[in-house]
Amino acid sequence: MLRRGFLTTVAAVSLVAAAAIPAKAEVSIMYIEAFGALIESGIADFEAETGETVNAIKLPGQGYDQRIALDLAAGTAADVNLIDSFMVSELAAAGYLEPLGTMAAAWDQYQYYLPGLMEVASYQGEVYALPTDTDVRMLWYDLSNFEKAGIATPWQPKNWADILDAATKLKEAGVQYPFQLPAGIKQGEATTMQGFYMALLGADVPEGDRNRLLKRDTNQWIGDSPALRRVFDLYHQVYVEQELNPADLNYATDIGAAVRQALADDKLGILASGSWEDACLWDCNNPPSREDRDAQVAWTPFPGSGEPGTMAATNISGGWTLGINANAADKDMAFKLITTIFDEDNFKEWTLANHRMAVRTDISESTEYTADPFLAEATKLAATTTGRDTIPGYQTVSALVQQATSDLLDGASVDEVAQSYHDALVDEFGEENVITYE
Amino acid sequence: MKNQANPWLTSNLFVLGLGLLPAAILIGALLYFTAWAFAFSFTDLALVGRKSVEWSWVGLQNFERLFTRRGFLESLWTTVIFVFFSAIVGQSVLGFLLAALLRGTQSTIRSVVEVCIMLGWLLPDIVAAFLWSATTSQTGLINQLIIVPLGFPPINFINEYALPIVTIANIWKGTAWSYLLFSAALDSVSREVVEAAKVDGATPFQRIWLVQLPIIRPHIATNMLFITIWTFTYFPLIFAMTGGGPGGQTQVLAVFLYNQSFSRGNLGFGSAISVAMLIIVGLLSLVYLRMLREPK
Repeated sequence: MLRRGFLTTVAAVSLVAAAAIPAKAEVSIMYIEAFGALIESGIADFEAETGETVNAIKLPGQGYDQRIALDLAAGTAADVNLIDSFMVSELAAAGYLEPLGTMAAAWDQYQYYLPGLMEVASYQGEVYALPTDTDVRMLWYDLSNFEKAGIATPWQPKNWADILDAATKLKEAGVQYPFQLPAGIKQGEATTMQGFYMALLGADVPEGDRNRLLKRDTNQWIGDSPALRRVFDLYHQVYVEQELNPADLNYATDIGAAVRQALADDKLGILASGSWEDACLWDCNNPPSREDRDAQVAWTPFPGSGEPGTMAATNISGGWTLGINANAADKDMAFKLITTIFDEDNFKEWTLANHRMAVRTDISESTEYTADPFLAEATKLAATTTGRDTIPGYQTVSALVQQATSDLLDGASVDEVAQSYHDALVDEFGEENVITYE
Repeated sequence: MKNQANPWLTSNLFVLGLGLLPAAILIGALLYFTAWAFAFSFTDLALVGRKSVEWSWVGLQNFERLFTRRGFLESLWTTVIFVFFSAIVGQSVLGFLLAALLRGTQSTIRSVVEVCIMLGWLLPDIVAAFLWSATTSQTGLINQLIIVPLGFPPINFINEYALPIVTIANIWKGTAWSYLLFSAALDSVSREVVEAAKVDGATPFQRIWLVQLPIIRPHIATNMLFITIWTFTYFPLIFAMTGGGPGGQTQVLAVFLYNQSFSRGNLGFGSAISVAMLIIVGLLSLVYLRMLREPK
């Protein structure tokens, strides 16, 4: 296994190697294939405009977060990197990312970015990355399976009981995956965002952040709370007690492909996921026609638990960003690549074609954008959305959440899982940074 | 010792030193990385965030957590089961049986079998993982060809029998090594000895059990040593097939180490796991090395 000493050596060796090879002006960029359409057309524009060559490293989404962290830690990362927004503050705190403030200020299109959305890409007041899009989360469901199970559509669950009820009916109707609620470690951040946090927000009243992982005014992690236990119990109901979904999709060799295949084959009932699925359920870079999608799937907001005082529907937003490696050889060139990718024409075209939620007013206020029926509906959810706890440490907490859901699948009780979660938080952050809600 | 060396070398110590240099560098590098892992196992170093820059020494805390927190002991047990069934029972015994049975058989049959088991060995781990997933999933080959035509409902093998499935996949993947090693070992048993046993009236089973096995005992120990170490630290096939799941059912130590170090970004704790693995593998190696010695 790689370790830091090794990483440093690798970095040193590659530096020596880089010095030995005659210098060739080149910018490198690493990204996941889901963003291929946006980034590749940006690269083409950049190469045409500057005459430089771009070394594009395209990777599958699974394991990408770990790869970015490792490459940046080793000093071997690309000059420009696509980064899930939850990692920006962690990477910036480690000194791996270049602050963009001065460069961004000189770029004429920077003014259009929504300030609220820039928070996720900032650390200690400094911007370290520019967002590609934002998202909202919801429950997608397969229309033909709902018909088979005799559930009326459009489906509008009011609380968790309604979801479990529908999942039971789907199970009885022979649907293989009645309620795919992301769980376990292999799903990574998807477990936390699409599954756990969406449920958590509706599990208790919002006062004092009782429905969150972090008490935001004091920056203390919540080690135990009724909300956490309710969500643990929800996972326990779905995967163990009522067996409303087999676990295997969460651990498939290629999870994204397995989920898409299950949906395409009408084997899936309800899928907890996000707005990008409007394009990505089939193929992120080649979305099918509106009619095709509407004939197969529909979506509904993720309801709250139904406990008194909780939110009727919940939502949390994330998104991806582009940032510059602090070790990049030519940072101005790297920033030029970013601004070419985000240049209005290229950015707007991709945003509209893929039904992504815009992060800039020049796009979100355009007539084409406001006329898109999916975006218009999804944007209503965005009105009440909230952000992840993007402070350093979140990645660890997120991994602990994934571990907790994984333990539940193993048959651990809610009490055991709550205890291990609390202990692990104390191990990581110390007693003083962990609180408990009765 | 100097007296035994080639006289030319003793008079050219510089050349001797130069010749040893690559080995010295390699050994130095090995020690260096091991020392780093060992040192970091006493720290709270993280991959990202503040603690990747401002880490501190935490004493034996990481090692204490190995035994007081969920994860390590469970993974150790999973690893023991996985190693025992896939390496020792599966690959070794199967490899030996194939080698013993195919000795003296027609060369065509032998070639076909050899090509088949070599294929498993030669396929990249990730390809093998996809192959096995496609075979054992609910819509996979086994269900389509056997279970469903026989009128049974499809079985989700990889979800319900995760550990047995990855174990079988690893046996399939790794038997070639044992087969090759045992074939070579059996070839080294002199024909006269086996013939003599035959003349004395030993059955085929007795010839294998009482004559050939004792002779190739050192080879068996060597094979066990290698495959135990490999399997104990084996990662790609399991991770690709199941990611350690469902739940933690197939979370062997290597997957646990990966999850702790890179998903959770906790390099200090990850180092402690790797040091623990090093100690366990070291102890196992000692046992096998004792087996290698000729009995007095």
